[in-house]
Amino acid sequence: MLVIRRRVGESFRIGEDIEIQILESTGGQVKIGIRAPRDVSVLRTEVWVTANQNKMAASVAVAESLTDTIVRQFFVSTPNSSSSSD
Amino acid sequence: MPQAQTQQFGPVDYRDEDAIEFPFGLPAFEEEHRFLAIERPQTKPLVYLQSLGRADLCFIALPLLVVDPTYKLAVSAEDLRILGLTDFLEQGTQPEIGKDLEALAIMSVTNSRPTANLLAPVLVRKSSLVRTGLQAIRGDNRYSHEQSWGGRV
Repeated sequence: MLVIRRRVGESFRIGEDIEIQILESTGGQVKIGIRAPRDVSVLRTEVWVTANQNKMAASVAVAESLTDTIVRQFFVSTPNSSSSSD
Repeated sequence: MPQAQTQQFGPVDYRDEDAIEFPFGLPAFEEEHRFLAIERPQTKPLVYLQSLGRADLCFIALPLLVVDPTYKLAVSAEDLRILGLTDFLEQGTQPEIGKDLEALAIMSVTNSRPTANLLAPVLVRKSSLVRTGLQAIRGDNRYSHEQSWGGRV
């Protein structure tokens, strides 16, 4: 990872079109301003992670193997219904 | 009675008041605003979070406390406002799962093992006329988005 040290008010650029500016820094929190073309998606990392996780979770293959695996797990501990998992 | 078209179960009857409104959808599915939480006796406690707009969109979820009985919520001020739980904002406390809201963990598969997204639980407000839901993404890194889950109930 590239590491750059910047003070409040200073900025840096990524490529030709993107500018990142440090606006404020208080108590361990940093406020950042981003100037980028409209078609560049800017997401907090946790939102991006969740979006990707949701896409994967919604895929048919995942749904099928999950139902099987999870249901089997539950049925292992409930012997009365164990026959219906297979 | 309205009917949901689902790929998994075919047509499913539901009551309008059971539909959950997601004002902002879910990340990657922002345009899907209405879901149904389907539970079936033979797969309990599994919850199928079925989109009412897209028959082919259905998440498999488990109650958050089934995945992690010690889970501690950290719902942001913005999310509390969307859920209409502003009392907690003033008190500076967190809502209680089971009492104030229902919480689900969306399940997925990582390296052929079931995983739960504990970074971003789906929260549904209880006891309101309209059931409002959202995926509450944590700002801290206390929980993983792919917590392996192999527990038994």
